[in-house]
Amino acid sequence: MAEPQTPARGDFPTIIGPDAAFKGELKFEKGVRLLGRLEGLVESPGQLEIAEGATLEGDVKAGNIRVDGSVKGNLRASGKIQLSASAKLEGDLTTARLEVAEGAVFIGKCVVGSDAAAKGGPAPRMDDAAKHAPQPVKK
Amino acid sequence: MEPDSTRPVLCTHCNGENLVGKRAMSVFCRHCRKRLILEDYRINTYHSVRLFATCGDIYVDRTGQVISPIRVRNLTVQGKVKGDVEARGRVEVTGTGELRGDITAPLIRVEEGGRIEGFCRIGALPDNWLRAAFPVK
Ligand SMILES: [Zn+2]
Repeated sequence: MAEPQTPARGDFPTIIGPDAAFKGELKFEKGVRLLGRLEGLVESPGQLEIAEGATLEGDVKAGNIRVDGSVKGNLRASGKIQLSASAKLEGDLTTARLEVAEGAVFIGKCVVGSDAAAKGGPAPRMDDAAKHAPQPVKK
Repeated sequence: MEPDSTRPVLCTHCNGENLVGKRAMSVFCRHCRKRLILEDYRINTYHSVRLFATCGDIYVDRTGQVISPIRVRNLTVQGKVKGDVEARGRVEVTGTGELRGDITAPLIRVEEGGRIEGFCRIGALPDNWLRAAFPVK
């Protein structure tokens, strides 16, 4: 008989437990949920979730990344990066979409845009023109 | 002045607190004596200044372009901004918005389609928050 799956299990076939401390390079096909401590590189086309209390030191390349814990390293997502209220991140961030909750702390270079994750190149330059002083809103 | 007709603002030059009248449009900082702008701005054309500073909010419309460092309470970008941004409140980049420059703000919101590029300092940064998570070996 098939065991009913909780949504969390379905989304994250791989879980690195709270007691685990992993060092090295990890590659996953589907989602990963980190509850413990990880030092190294992570690569997954799926979702990586760094739970509250978990720490990750290293670079990540994934489809979507959700940070509830602490990260020191560079994050690159082809889809979305979510920083929740408890998130702490020091490192560079490249993603198509960014969601930052109130309370999240983030310091690092940031490139957000639909073409950012694919190419990572700079956005087109804005026009240069004459100088004008801004006018306040008429009330 | 009655107490409920004033509000506190922080100086965009020296960070000092000033109590200003609710309807005042500008005031001289009682700490550094420089002029403080208190108004909100809506930008729908091209603007380039040495420093764009207000204790109020700035909205950059879809057609607006600001090429300037910005000091502001809340900033909403529907058009384009190129310059470093320091906000006391929230920086919001909508789906049509583009912000290129370093961003310092307690809170940032980027809608789907919105683009940002620059060095970010987001959130309240308590001392040693990083060292607590990653102790030095
Ligand atoms: Zn001042």
